[in-house]
Amino acid sequence: MPTVVLMDVSLSMTRPVAQDGSEEFQRKNLAVHGLNMLFEHMASNYRMEFTTLMAFSSLWELLVPFTRDYNALQEALSNLEDYDKTCVESALQGVSNVVQQEWGSACPCQMVMVTDGSLGIGKGSLRHSLQTLKQRGDDKKFPLPFPFPTKLFIMCVANAEELQMTDAMDNLEELLRLSGGDGQIFTMEGALCMKSVQAMFGRLIDHAYSPFHAVLHCGNLSSDVQVFPRPEPVVMDEEVEPMPRAVSTDLEIVGFIEIGDISSPPVISRHLVLPIAVNKEVDEVGAGATDELEEEPSASQMAGKSPNFCVLLHGSLKKLPKSNSKKKSNLMMSLFDPGPEPLPWLGKISHLGPISEAAENPYGEDDSKSPFPVQPSVKRSYAQNVTVWIKASGLQTDVQKILRNARKLPDKTQTFYKELNRLRKAALAFGFWELLKGVADLLERECTLLPDSAHPDAAFQLSHAAQQLKLASTATSEICNNRLKYRSPSLCGPRWRTVCADCCF
Amino acid sequence: MDQCTVQMCKTKMFSVSHKTVFVVDHCPYMAESSRQQVECDVLTKSRAQGVIPLAPVSKSLWTCAVECSMEYCRILYDIYPRDKLVNYIVSDSEFHILNSWRQEDQSTHELMSALAAVGPPNPREDPECCSILHGLVAAVESLCKITELQHERRTSLMDTAERVANRGRIICLTNAKSDTHVRMLEDCIQETILEQNKLAAGSDRLMAIQQCDLVLVHIHPQGEDTLVSDRPKKEISPLLTSEVHSVRAGRHLATKLNILVQQHFDFASTTITNIPMKPTLNVCDQEEQHANTSANYDVELLHHRDAHLEFFKSGDLHMAGTSTRENGLKETITLKWCTPRTNSIELHYCTGAYRISPTDVNSRPSSCLTNFLLNGRSVLLEQPRKSGSKVISHMLSSHGGEIFLHVLNSNRSTLEDPPSISEGCGGRVTDYRITDFGEFMRENRLTPVSESSHDPSGKLPVERAKAQLERHTRYWPMIISQTTIFNMQAVVPLANLIVKETLSEEDVLTCQKTVYNLVDMERKNDPLPISTVGSRGKGPKRDEQYRIMWNELETLVKTHSGDTDRHQRVLDCIIACRSKPPEEEERKKRGRKREDREDRTEKNGSKDTDDKSWQDSERLKGLLDKEDQESEVIKDSPDSPEPLIKKPRLSTEEVQPPERAKGPVSLLTMWTNRITVANSRKHQEFVGRVSSVNNKFELYQQLKDENGMDVHENGKASR
Repeated sequence: MPTVVLMDVSLSMTRPVAQDGSEEFQRKNLAVHGLNMLFEHMASNYRMEFTTLMAFSSLWELLVPFTRDYNALQEALSNLEDYDKTCVESALQGVSNVVQQEWGSACPCQMVMVTDGSLGIGKGSLRHSLQTLKQRGDDKKFPLPFPFPTKLFIMCVANAEELQMTDAMDNLEELLRLSGGDGQIFTMEGALCMKSVQAMFGRLIDHAYSPFHAVLHCGNLSSDVQVFPRPEPVVMDEEVEPMPRAVSTDLEIVGFIEIGDISSPPVISRHLVLPIAVNKEVDEVGAGATDELEEEPSASQMAGKSPNFCVLLHGSLKKLPKSNSKKKSNLMMSLFDPGPEPLPWLGKISHLGPISEAAENPYGEDDSKSPFPVQPSVKRSYAQNVTVWIKASGLQTDVQKILRNARKLPDKTQTFYKELNRLRKAALAFGFWELLKGVADLLERECTLLPDSAHPDAAFQLSHAAQQLKLASTATSEICNNRLKYRSPSLCGPRWRTVCADCCF
Repeated sequence: MDQCTVQMCKTKMFSVSHKTVFVVDHCPYMAESSRQQVECDVLTKSRAQGVIPLAPVSKSLWTCAVECSMEYCRILYDIYPRDKLVNYIVSDSEFHILNSWRQEDQSTHELMSALAAVGPPNPREDPECCSILHGLVAAVESLCKITELQHERRTSLMDTAERVANRGRIICLTNAKSDTHVRMLEDCIQETILEQNKLAAGSDRLMAIQQCDLVLVHIHPQGEDTLVSDRPKKEISPLLTSEVHSVRAGRHLATKLNILVQQHFDFASTTITNIPMKPTLNVCDQEEQHANTSANYDVELLHHRDAHLEFFKSGDLHMAGTSTRENGLKETITLKWCTPRTNSIELHYCTGAYRISPTDVNSRPSSCLTNFLLNGRSVLLEQPRKSGSKVISHMLSSHGGEIFLHVLNSNRSTLEDPPSISEGCGGRVTDYRITDFGEFMRENRLTPVSESSHDPSGKLPVERAKAQLERHTRYWPMIISQTTIFNMQAVVPLANLIVKETLSEEDVLTCQKTVYNLVDMERKNDPLPISTVGSRGKGPKRDEQYRIMWNELETLVKTHSGDTDRHQRVLDCIIACRSKPPEEEERKKRGRKREDREDRTEKNGSKDTDDKSWQDSERLKGLLDKEDQESEVIKDSPDSPEPLIKKPRLSTEEVQPPERAKGPVSLLTMWTNRITVANSRKHQEFVGRVSSVNNKFELYQQLKDENGMDVHENGKASR
């Protein structure tokens, strides 16, 4: 989940912070200190995250495009300049553009907006933006909510009390609500100083940037792993199950399936599964990270040399006949929709069992077959020969098919009756008796047009079929009951005659 | 990544679209002709002479209503085969309910059979007795009936059962007399809802209606002025909304219901364009005259609108070739067919898959496309962009006879350039048992178990799959140099059998044969595939090699010996047959620390007879740690080779394989061996004693967790 850091560089950020001691700080210094701490934490614990740094005042500027180079981000922080007033709306528009250009509109993003809570005055101020929300045309829409899913974290270099004295807090809350409600507003507790800004960013790190550690199990084999990005809890149906479903830190393999059988399944997210060494418990708050750096090389060297289940699993998956072993690859985890049956073609996950319990190997002795995909009990309309006469052409085609076969009797007796039965069945269901009469007339006409050389059975079949259709079209309830027998698919072709003889004559 | 927000957009499980009641008017006036004529006798030129063509036929209002409602159901069932239910009611002098909410009643096939039995309206029936009201009242009653899904959810939610809502929609196809008549129908439905809700409050199988949407479609013949006016959705009461559509019978009605099904279930339309009509593709209908003409054709598909989510959000809608239809209501997005290359198996990054239904299901282009897909081919679809750049945004593919529109991610991945696996943990190890694990994965593949063949009182199939993985990994060294037995062809029959849940007599025999075969090998002094990695010099001597092998084999079998008596018999066989008890030799080799250890052995041994608790195993772990350190010290003496077999993760109280060669033998090992020797002398007794230890299996369970692993990994790491 890429991160956008949006830093307020308006003049108000240069306000000095009251200090008893020697050095005088600006709010900006505190903000930079907090961001440096965030970047250091990400560099050591969340280094796969792409982050961009943007600065805004009345204009916005992209300082560092999306990168994993945290030195570059810190470098840019140290060179911030001071500008004029705050204009949140245009900055948000900028964020929207930058993110969509890089990641499209489906990739979820986190935005960390750092500000002092002075949200501008007059036109262009956040207050003004929010007041005019409803008076805008399509071309000047407020940028929130972003098209992509967003987590919005607002870091205020200010106390909550300070923000509540004006309408700043209300406006920020409204902003969070507009963004979709996912996120949080952080304020500083106590005096504005280095310590309290550290505490505030510490809370952000705990909340949004702590690495997801889990154990990958395969029976008794296991490996400690980091799952990146963090799997986020999912709410499938707010009404029935409002509690979000989260991924367990015990990832249990239940078995294996061929890649062709799983067949490009839809996933809600994809994650790297990176083996980690257990003894390398790095301080998650990030404050202690620097101490560990010295020990790290030797520790990771040791870890590199002891066998790890992830590497075994990855290596074996890569050696499978159907995988492309030349491509650079990693162990990845995809998350399906939570629920008993995420993929219809696999059936219920709880009903996947070991092949050893099947009477015979469902993959065949030479892997020539597969028990997948699971077939649904009812075929879809396009997989069965449904009859639709909404367009005249559908009806014409069906009638013509019958006539074509009628002219080739008795050779085509089977197909003739099959098509005739299909038409008859649909006509009865639709209550379209006029059609039955019409087709009966057509068959009688065909009978009269038969050449002298025609097989005698042709005339017999045609007149018999015509008679049956007419009978159906004037059906009284008693004859309706006979329809059940007619509908049977085995009643086509020559056997039709005998059955009809039983039930109608 | 977090798609919470996206997920929430999905329709609620129990929205109004969970239950749809069709109420179709079967009164005498519905037998009237729609006055839309269909020419079904298309004469070919050669036969035209002298033949009088058949007069065109025309559908009745009833036929129009039935076929359009069936088309609505067809599309619905194609896209939502489950959980979006239809109840079909016909109304004349009374109501006829043609199906129930039950899943097995949900198919057009069932409905068509029921409709055939109803037949067209009887024009001679007394119109005074007939009314759509009978059906509408029945529809409200039906909406109160609980569906299987509602019941299941209510049962599973227990305390929060009230979260299961009861909403529904009534689609009424009728010929109303006037706007006043429509108002009368609405009032009647409103009253019935109130009445039924009172009844439902006192019943388990009924639920009160929380929301009902009435969609009244007034059907009138072509060329006749309508007496009923269109009216958009309005709220009649907090429980009831109503909308009125006044439509001419025939294709207008079909279009109307097609639009309604899209609105009701959040469908959207995609037109696949540029589908090449090659003669090879043209398998579906050889009888058509134009079979060999080459052309590109288009097919329109319906599906859930989330398949277009990205277009909507990015505002790419117009670029993606949206076109508005003549009626101005329906839009379709055009995607271009990309001729598939080979049938390569590729795992695409797919963010959604949605069932489709062709708008025109039995037209030739549609059936050609669907047959092509049903035969197992997948088609990538390209999104036309202004810039002319090519972006593959979707894929059509069938799974088990169902066609899905897959949404593919076409943006930059946030997971690019991941760290190489060789740089991480375990990345430097080069002798993983890759091939063996490949075989392991093959053996642990899954298969769907049908609900009918699954015994509901037993373990779920997936739990049995996990149990199998557990059995197969009780002793599974990950690298080649950690194992001897898994590098030996001679051990394979036993290794394959011992992991089974139950053994047959024949299996036990095979295992025993394997053991005898190993004894034979040892007698002949055959070489073993012992790894010399890390050892100094030539590695262990032959008899030492066999000792290592036997220990490892014993370790493997011990992890299963508690499962059944037959498993135990395999272990007994090994203990009885394996090379001489190491007791004597060991005594020679380690005179120095012996007394010291003996003491501890005693302690350990006495503990062992007790019923082990978790604390004991923890203490044991501590003991092992200590031993490990000790052995490290001794190992450094020049004539002691590196241990070749890593301490496996074992269960069990007494198990500590005596794998250390000439060097130190762990305390536990010595003790184990002593017991082993003692038992092998009085064999019968041993079996009896073991089976009388009632908690042997549990002991294994306690230790199968990481405890064992930690011990050995720490041992290694501290080196």
